[in-house]
Amino acid sequence: MRHLSRYSAMSKGLYASEGRKGRKVVVIDVRPTPTSKTADLFLQVTPGQDFEIAHVLRCLIKNIPLEGLTETSQIGGVPLSQWRELAEMMKQCHYGVVMFGIGLTQSRGKDLNVEEINTLVSELNRYTRFYAIAMRGHGNVNGSNQVLVWQTGYPLAVNFQRGYPRFNPGEFSVVDMLTRQEVDAALIIATDPGAHLPQAAVRYLQSIPTIVLEPHENLTTDWANVVIPVAPAGVGAEGTFYRMDNVSLRLKKLVDFPVSSDREVLQSIKERVIQLKGDLQDKGENKPC
Amino acid sequence: MLKIVNGQVYDPLNGVNGEVREIVIDHGMIVEPSPDQKISETINASGCVVMPGGIEIHSHIAGAKVNSARSMCPEDHYDHFKVSTAGIRSGTGYTVPSTFLTGYEYSRLGYTTAFEAAVPPLEARHAHEELEDTPLLDSGIYTLMGNNYMIMKVLSEQDEIGRRERLRDLVTWLLTSSKGYAVKVVNPGGVESWKWSQGSVDLDTRVPPFGIAPRKLLQELVEVIRELKLPHGLHLHANHLGEAGNFITTLETMRTLEGYPVHFTHLQFHSYGMTKKGGIRSAAREIAEYLNGHPEFTCDIGQIVFGPATTMTADSPMQFRLHQMTGNKWINSDVEMETGSGIVPMMYRPSVLFNAIQWCIGLELLLLIKNPWQIVLTTDHPNAGPFTSYPQIIRLLMDRDYRNSVLEQLHPKTVNYTHLRELDREYSLEEIAIVTRSAPARALGLSHKGRLGIGAEADVAIYRIQDDKEKMFAGPAYVLKGGKVVVRDGEVLQSFAGKRLIVEPDGAKTLLPDLARNFADYYSIELSNYAVQDEYLSRPEVIPCI
Repeated sequence: MRHLSRYSAMSKGLYASEGRKGRKVVVIDVRPTPTSKTADLFLQVTPGQDFEIAHVLRCLIKNIPLEGLTETSQIGGVPLSQWRELAEMMKQCHYGVVMFGIGLTQSRGKDLNVEEINTLVSELNRYTRFYAIAMRGHGNVNGSNQVLVWQTGYPLAVNFQRGYPRFNPGEFSVVDMLTRQEVDAALIIATDPGAHLPQAAVRYLQSIPTIVLEPHENLTTDWANVVIPVAPAGVGAEGTFYRMDNVSLRLKKLVDFPVSSDREVLQSIKERVIQLKGDLQDKGENKPC
Repeated sequence: MLKIVNGQVYDPLNGVNGEVREIVIDHGMIVEPSPDQKISETINASGCVVMPGGIEIHSHIAGAKVNSARSMCPEDHYDHFKVSTAGIRSGTGYTVPSTFLTGYEYSRLGYTTAFEAAVPPLEARHAHEELEDTPLLDSGIYTLMGNNYMIMKVLSEQDEIGRRERLRDLVTWLLTSSKGYAVKVVNPGGVESWKWSQGSVDLDTRVPPFGIAPRKLLQELVEVIRELKLPHGLHLHANHLGEAGNFITTLETMRTLEGYPVHFTHLQFHSYGMTKKGGIRSAAREIAEYLNGHPEFTCDIGQIVFGPATTMTADSPMQFRLHQMTGNKWINSDVEMETGSGIVPMMYRPSVLFNAIQWCIGLELLLLIKNPWQIVLTTDHPNAGPFTSYPQIIRLLMDRDYRNSVLEQLHPKTVNYTHLRELDREYSLEEIAIVTRSAPARALGLSHKGRLGIGAEADVAIYRIQDDKEKMFAGPAYVLKGGKVVVRDGEVLQSFAGKRLIVEPDGAKTLLPDLARNFADYYSIELSNYAVQDEYLSRPEVIPCI
């Protein structure tokens, strides 16, 4: 709702001075939601048809004949005529944005669905200005993506085992590494795997040493071997936040916290590890690798 | 103290041209040699040339669009990686290397300073964050202003004197709040026009929403830049980049700005004539002839390098056209009230006539512009090719036979549209030192860089003299950054943060009140959160406006 009022629907723009009145909001979802209730057009679709829908919209926008379909044919549970109406709306508008959620990556087709949406948006730019924004689930997921990308070249699922960054989602992503039981120990920062990961992954995580840096109690802190409380960024610690449109913002520290920030904790762990490694080397116990 | 002995020194700003000189370094500066100095380390540079550290005047190495290009092109990284060693970080990427790798690779070529060429003020914080992680380089950013809503609004005001003052205050505020170094203009008015789904613009096209013509925007900005005494003039990416026949616009832009300090960037992309069938032909002669009569202008080339490249620019209409033309993948971004930007990966091939002509035009400019002080060697990294190709371009300039042998391998019709085969000039080592170091230092107003005299910063590159100039410049024997040896025989020895170069022109420290109201109404962030905080610059250095 905050997104609607502050950015996407209600906010008044320099050239959209009427705010919500001057805009058209279309929601495509598998069920009614608080957002769909505010929409000008709500298309309730059947699950698992995301690729087909995006593909049909592409065809309609490019006036490619859809053989074997009539105006009443259903695509994703919605008649073609309605998709045609939406396609016209998209083509005619001055400026459009597709905001897509994580659901798109969970249904059949997965990344191909996202690619199809992006292709649709690129093709719309032949007629008007259109953009796509991925709606991220949690705060500052983009921050971690951005830093990983500039330091390693890759946004996620980065493996340093060979001394240089390697990237392969499906092989090096957390869920896959955990379910294949390839992980010896885990350092968890600013996330709650106990709440978000599949059961098999969580069960394996529970069987290995786990260290959590976390300001709150959550479904992981209960069973983690070590929990280090940290000051939350933007409240008890400074930091940088990347909004999901890639604009970075400074997070301020508002109050003193009795505990250190993530950065300070990691810094002191790093120093201690370097020291321990040095001690071992002095004793000749550190085998070359 | 460190001493470099027996080297043939090239220091064009001090008129030293290959003479054997001793260079003594203390606390990161070059000092007067004297007999009672305690020298702790001596570098024997016999058989080597000694030059100031290279200075990159125009490169895309940090910030939102660079990072988007990295994540867009994992295929650029798989085969190009560096394993971490003690104190040196790992990294990946060929045309768009990760930040640490960018610093190391520049360093390994003997470059010690680099400027990020296009940053929207709203995304300046991001660019500075990345530069903090780009080691061994002094760096800075150019702040985009050519399609900025507030700039265009002020320019639309009637009162001429008030307007000039307000524009000066606005430019100052944009520069200081983005912690920028120079004013950058990309396709003036053209990006805004595209955002309104309108066509490309000429110098006198009235651009929505304020009806400002690019010519006026440029004229007023150069006037303000002169008044503010900024160390670098207007850094201009002119209209119609990459279009056949665009040299007419380029020349017209130059005539409009005569007498003002202006740097025309990636000029190769702006020196195209048109054939009867609408293709491109070289107009390097026309452009070079004009520049030969106008020493107030400088340029960099944006030399094409055959192989993969990643085009990225604030010129979104150009990027969209390139995407349509090549069918390659494309990202475009709309930066609120400030600019746009786009990314398209590319492959330049010698067998493609268009690319072959582009390649020739860049070299023709380098060979036809007589005064090397007006030229800087660039590839507009990574738009025309990666900066790691500089040694190859140096060889093309210094070795005519090699150049002609490459020319032979291009598309057979290339010679019909270019003059390169007729050009005999070969660059001397002194001229190479000028176009890679001393000329950019002068164009940027950096008085302690690009030279090796007493009081200069001790950024030094030492190359072993070899017949193959590509090999010679690809692997310096030593590179010193701030007096410390950071590279020896191609190996990076240590890594530390460079300085961030910024300006503090004499003007408003706050945004004009009426524009501040606009800002509050229409920006997606608060004005108080806009300016880049001091925390993002660990080693700032203010370059004076004089």
